[in-house]
Amino acid sequence: MKNNKKKMNPFDASLFNMLKNMKEIEIEDVDFRIDRLDFTLPTLVVNPQIPRQVAPIGKPLEELTYEFVPPVNTYRGEVTEVVLGATKSEGGSRSRAITVGGSKTPPFYSVEGEKPNPPVVVGDVFDMKINLPKPVRSHFGEVLEDPAEWARIYVEKFDVDMIDIELISTDPLLNDTPISESAKVVEDVLQAVDVPIIIGGSGSPEKDGDLLSKMAEVAEGERVLLSSATPDLYEPIAVAAKEHDHAVLSWTSLDINQQKELNRHLLEYIPREKIIIDPTSAALGYGIEYAFTIMERMRLSALWADQEVQMPMAAATSNSWAAREAWRKDPELGPRMLRGPLWETTSALTFLLAGVDIFISLHPAAIRTVKEVAGWLMDQEAEKIPKNWVNLEAV
Amino acid sequence: MSFKDIPVDVGVIYEGERIRWRETYVEMGGPRIEDKFELVLSRDIDEIEDGKIEVIGPDIKDVEAGTSLPYGLYIEVAGKDVEKDLEGVIERRLHDYCNFIQGLMHINQRYDIHLRLSQASVRKGLDSFKLIGKVIMRLYKTDMPLIEKIQITFITDLEEVKKRRAEAIEVYDARDARARGMKDSEADVFYGCSLCQSFAPSHVCTITPQRYANCGAISWFDGRAAARIDPKGPIFAVEKGECLDDWRGEYSGVNEMSKEKTLGEVDRVWLYTAFGYPHTSCGCFEAIAFYIPEVDGLGVVDRDFKGKTVNGLSFSTLADTTAGGTQVDGFHGLSIEYMRSPKLLQVDGGWNRIVWLPKKVKERVEEFIPDELKNKIPTEEAVANLDELKQYLEDAQHPVVDRWKAALEEAPEEVEAIEEAPGGSPFAPVSSISTTVGGYKFTLENVRIHADRVRIKKVEK
Amino acid sequence: MSKKIGPLDVFNILPKTNCGKCGEDTCFAFAAKVADRKLDLEQCTPLYEEAQYEKNRGKLEVLLRPAVREIRLRSKDDEVRIGGKTVVYRHEFRYSNPTAIAISVSDTMPEDFMLSKVKKASEWEYRYIGMDLSLDLIAIRSTSNDPTKFRECVEKVSDVTHMPLVLCSFSPEVVEHGLKALKGQSPLIYAANQENWKEMSKLAKNYECPIVVSAPNDLDQLRFLTDSLMKEGIENIVLDPGTMPDEGLRDTLNNFTMLRRSAISLKDDLSGFPLLGTPISTWCEEDEEPEIKAWKESYISSMLISRYADILIINSIEMWSILPIVIWRTNIYTDPVKPVTVEPGLRTFGKPDENSPVLYTTNFALTFYTVQEDVKDLDCYMLVVDTEGISVESAVAGGKLTADKVNDTIKETGIEDMVTHRKIVSPGLAARISGETEMVSGWDVLVGPKDSGGVKNFLDKKFYQET
Repeated sequence: MKNNKKKMNPFDASLFNMLKNMKEIEIEDVDFRIDRLDFTLPTLVVNPQIPRQVAPIGKPLEELTYEFVPPVNTYRGEVTEVVLGATKSEGGSRSRAITVGGSKTPPFYSVEGEKPNPPVVVGDVFDMKINLPKPVRSHFGEVLEDPAEWARIYVEKFDVDMIDIELISTDPLLNDTPISESAKVVEDVLQAVDVPIIIGGSGSPEKDGDLLSKMAEVAEGERVLLSSATPDLYEPIAVAAKEHDHAVLSWTSLDINQQKELNRHLLEYIPREKIIIDPTSAALGYGIEYAFTIMERMRLSALWADQEVQMPMAAATSNSWAAREAWRKDPELGPRMLRGPLWETTSALTFLLAGVDIFISLHPAAIRTVKEVAGWLMDQEAEKIPKNWVNLEAV
Repeated sequence: MSFKDIPVDVGVIYEGERIRWRETYVEMGGPRIEDKFELVLSRDIDEIEDGKIEVIGPDIKDVEAGTSLPYGLYIEVAGKDVEKDLEGVIERRLHDYCNFIQGLMHINQRYDIHLRLSQASVRKGLDSFKLIGKVIMRLYKTDMPLIEKIQITFITDLEEVKKRRAEAIEVYDARDARARGMKDSEADVFYGCSLCQSFAPSHVCTITPQRYANCGAISWFDGRAAARIDPKGPIFAVEKGECLDDWRGEYSGVNEMSKEKTLGEVDRVWLYTAFGYPHTSCGCFEAIAFYIPEVDGLGVVDRDFKGKTVNGLSFSTLADTTAGGTQVDGFHGLSIEYMRSPKLLQVDGGWNRIVWLPKKVKERVEEFIPDELKNKIPTEEAVANLDELKQYLEDAQHPVVDRWKAALEEAPEEVEAIEEAPGGSPFAPVSSISTTVGGYKFTLENVRIHADRVRIKKVEK
Repeated sequence: MSKKIGPLDVFNILPKTNCGKCGEDTCFAFAAKVADRKLDLEQCTPLYEEAQYEKNRGKLEVLLRPAVREIRLRSKDDEVRIGGKTVVYRHEFRYSNPTAIAISVSDTMPEDFMLSKVKKASEWEYRYIGMDLSLDLIAIRSTSNDPTKFRECVEKVSDVTHMPLVLCSFSPEVVEHGLKALKGQSPLIYAANQENWKEMSKLAKNYECPIVVSAPNDLDQLRFLTDSLMKEGIENIVLDPGTMPDEGLRDTLNNFTMLRRSAISLKDDLSGFPLLGTPISTWCEEDEEPEIKAWKESYISSMLISRYADILIINSIEMWSILPIVIWRTNIYTDPVKPVTVEPGLRTFGKPDENSPVLYTTNFALTFYTVQEDVKDLDCYMLVVDTEGISVESAVAGGKLTADKVNDTIKETGIEDMVTHRKIVSPGLAARISGETEMVSGWDVLVGPKDSGGVKNFLDKKFYQET
């Protein structure tokens, strides 16, 4: 047969047609591309004691034991680190600056790498009294009308790492509070606590631009996180962040493409080290799996070197209280003082495993559990004591 | 962008407004009028005056309520990045922009347009086309920064409309011819679209002049425009790189882009086939080409087709396998426009391999089916199941029948590890030869073996 | 990740007779569903009953075997399947076989207390988005170590529940007594370990039951045990790498992850079995309040569900601690490609009367819940249009939300008999179809805001004013 350069599938019917009339054919210069090829070489001596092992490539057969070989990948990219808060020497007035992000490997898979910076838990306060569920209210009493005091309790009593002051009363559909008043609120909060802060608008596309620009000015030097830039409104916030050296929370609604697009826009104004992603943390039972999967995908993409998602992630676990199962008083669902906080905690830990770095939270029990669990997961010296639960009596 | 100087409101909420005849002040175009058109032309930057709006013929205030007018909307645009190929894309926006104006309704496009302006809006002060022109200009400039200059002429004078309409029709024809005639080899770049990645992480569409996007919404020209207008958006240019296989449609640039966008899941794409390394689908394809092994052919079914196809599977069942961004042999998402392409599944035989499609689809693409095949491809009206299909194809002597004959003659016997693959891609079925004797199992992936010589010898039983 | 198995891969090895015994019209239709893991291979009865297809069956079983094997537990009434996973991440392909939840009782518990717990677990139900969620298994631990007592306990439990059982003891004698009481069933044996695996293997073989191999925090030993059992011909194995609370969580989660990735990415046979988590181990802590133990057990359960656990043994059946687990399990096992929907039709908020506003939205669950939050304090009617779970914007673009569909919903819900006006508020993103909707339905369409947060304001300005 002539030396034919045509790309041909050797298992093609036409080949067999040719073979019909011939005994043998010879083809030159053949390339096989095969997805997977399995073959077995049986041994001549049957020895049932030989362990059934797949020989790892390169390892001499005599060294086969029952050693478990953990799967290890290498990654080409990493998540950036973002610094929030500035100390006196850095131009601010916070007691410390916090670094978030920086992961080079998937969440809590130690054999590939450790999480470089512990997750950050944020106390969520509002500039007006809102309808909070009883399990949360019960911890704060009267301070719910005083954001500065409220923030102080979060920091001193519940040990949060940051405060998020949400200026929702500025919403034209709520109180339409003038921006000048919000400036005072932010100043008060900055006075009351010395942790880094997040400044949140109301979500109003008409007002948030001006509001957050002004707040960026008020908080100049403190390296705050401006919450949030959205696909409908990002330019003034990005500009303000650039001018006053703050970070921006990039917030989209459970849509990876939208998230990447928004990030692309933001990157025209500010560097990656100033962006944190919020893909929307839907409540447990009300869309959490979308959030979880988007977070997992984004984190994997980041490690695969997709620069548009190589930012730390934030989740508002306070959203979990939107689930009626969390707040509703219902004897059939058990005591809500336990049920509600557990709802928020379960959401938070789910996001923790998906790679989230910042948790904007309401209930102290959730706050404590996240910090505790993250601490255990990151502790390389942690004791590992198996428990004999089979013999548990009185349970 | 504000419209405070316009007497009526402008916004997306007016998009679906319908104006009834009794509410109409003036109708432009529509079924009562033969002479109507809308046209966008690209000009050189010095050829037009930015912001100029002219009205040739009676203006709104010059006519009485209840009038129907001949109507031509003649728009000229210029800009560094504006080129002839983008005219159609820019022109399509007119429909939306007109509808955003409160009290103005716009239906259809090109030489079929039909507009109505409500009495209420005229009473509010919208009594001149110039005001409408202002709105259109503002919307264009905000949405499409590549338009640096824009000039609009409203024509309601019958003679002038007739004259320019003739010009417009020539332009439309030339555009269509170019769009259909443009070859993949002529394009300088392709376009990628990742709009659907939210639903299918390992999917990205490659849009070429001869392979329309699966969703049916984006042509290569649309992709070009979109990438220019919104370089940060979901549509982006793809370097073709080296043409590795012209027949199959394999380009090194496409492979690279795919590998990157799908995180390594899909690193090889053959554009014109449903087998081997087919172009993937997310979930919004217009239609599916599905393999029917009983007749070694491909059926096509579209989203609107209700009920079971000829092989007993419905669109939604087939969609389950086709969607999700994986390369599955014989389940291929595509758009109706791709069915009009000369490259349609050419590796698999193109129209010679298509054995069934819904009547409505056939009607839409009839023009592009080779004459000699038109009556050989049945629809749901002619056959209801596989037996009837087989019979029909045989009676009509559909080309696929020759493949049956070839397969029968070859008569492969108990072919263990090698099996005949439809469409020409090798199967290596995963077989794990379980040994009770003991031994070592080797698993090799992504194998490339080069042999200077391969000898195949018939082994007599 | 290797190429997904396609319908053709399966079809080529099927009988191709189109006999229809599987319930599908053609072998090809069957192949498509099998490849998508919507149907079991066993439904092709000729494949299993006719000798000529034995080779084909073997090939198909190997082709279709998921990287993590599927194990089936059976009681006299029910079957619970665990494992059967083909991917690490749910976004690659939907997870099959939601994590089975086993509620624990012990043979030294007072009998009525124990039986009432078993009944509670067996009848446990929660209605959620049109589904009835339930629990799956009962785990009986022998704390008495008395084979006779254990057997009695097993018999009594088996009488009051339909659920398959997990028999927990490290004593082969005790386990055997329990197995004898369950002739014809297929309970899960917990467990074979370094000390007892030889005898336990015999039990697993003789009674044809699946069995757990347990090697707390020792993956090497786990491999040895798994392989030893496989050499005995046992294929139905479940792995227990140990669940350690508090500081032990680090290793626990790592072990689960390493095993799952090893099974899927490295295609390691010895890792390719379902994973058992035992959050019940939080109850071993002496100095903690029961609420704390239940709290920890709950969140560890949820975390293990996120980290590949196929079956869990837990103690607390209190609603407050078990509901989050069951909801998260339901959520993570949904098909990531299919949108979650709510029932279409009419919803009523507050106390609407014949003058109250009528709004409409789509049946995409997220859309619906968001809108619901914003209208629940108003007195109004809401029509939920069936757009197959697509959100407003996409449904309009994709032709799933049309004037006709809205009109159909209006007619089907009978809203025309409940209000005297004919004004309906549409979502802002459905502006495009507003005119047509008016024409088709005869109602006036008020195009509302894009975001349902503005609904109240919109109604104040546009609806109430003009009525």
